[in-house]
Amino acid sequence: MSDAPQFEAFLRQHQNLVFSTAMRLLANRAEAEDVTQEVFLKAYARFGELETSPTAAGWLRTVARNLSLNHLTRYRSRWTFFSEILAGRGEEEGEGTVDFAAPENTEEQLASTDRRAFVEQALEKLPAAQRVPLVLYHLEDQSYEAIAAQLGVSLGKVKTDIFRGREALRKKLAAVKETELGIVA
Amino acid sequence: MNPNPENELAALVDRELKALPPLPAPSSLAPRILAAIAAHAEAPWYRRPWETWTLPLQGASLAVLLALFGTLCFGGWRFSQSEAVVATAGKASGVLSVFELMFRILGVLRDAGVQVIQHIGSGYLIGFAVMALMAYAVCLALGSACVRFAYARR
Repeated sequence: MSDAPQFEAFLRQHQNLVFSTAMRLLANRAEAEDVTQEVFLKAYARFGELETSPTAAGWLRTVARNLSLNHLTRYRSRWTFFSEILAGRGEEEGEGTVDFAAPENTEEQLASTDRRAFVEQALEKLPAAQRVPLVLYHLEDQSYEAIAAQLGVSLGKVKTDIFRGREALRKKLAAVKETELGIVA
Repeated sequence: MNPNPENELAALVDRELKALPPLPAPSSLAPRILAAIAAHAEAPWYRRPWETWTLPLQGASLAVLLALFGTLCFGGWRFSQSEAVVATAGKASGVLSVFELMFRILGVLRDAGVQVIQHIGSGYLIGFAVMALMAYAVCLALGSACVRFAYARR
């Protein structure tokens, strides 16, 4: 490992990005760590090109995304089965329509750090069938069509899952807002 | 009044998610990755992926593979032309004629079976099928009972 110090610096510079991408898709710390390791093993094999490349971060992010999706596909039957059961349960619980405040007001209610931690937790707790397309759409900037192709599901399912994921997040945020107001009162 | 709640919701979620900072990787992750890379680098060249071999090694391995393939093809062709193989093939055809005879016997038996089925009528056939199903059901039930008994908590 002749270029070890350079690679270590590269690793430390990008590890959070790769870990975040994997963690938000997989919602499992151990699996995200495994994927991160796999990404950097691949990066090491191509370090000659990546070291000076301005698109290294994009390359790492794409590889992390693809490996995470591969990981999910590998356990696809189990994932689909459980995620659909959980999604169904969520629908049955059918919380009533909650009016959410305008974003500006909500932001005023919550300290931004706490809020981000909360959003992160809420995202992590979403069923995989909603979380994965939601992350791909909003964080990875993938189109509906690309997500449908990557996950091997219909366009309609992708749109429905993303909509349900947004609704679930909205409800969680609204619940936090109500709690905060309760504490203040 | 929200004119388009769906777009508003999409914008809100987009803003919330994009505002998320990167998650900090665990402190143990970088040492773990570096150790894995070191272990990977220490492996002998022949245990590493072919793409990571040096160009001369890749070329040499390809040449060896091509030579092996060529030798195999040529050897196979020469072997098939030899007198011993031709003689053996003649003997083998004698053995194969036994299989041909067996196929003929099986064909005759099949035809006989078809004749029998046509003569005994559909009532008997349904009866046999019902009996076979019942026997299967009984086996299944007995097997389940045995398994339950064997794994019953005592």
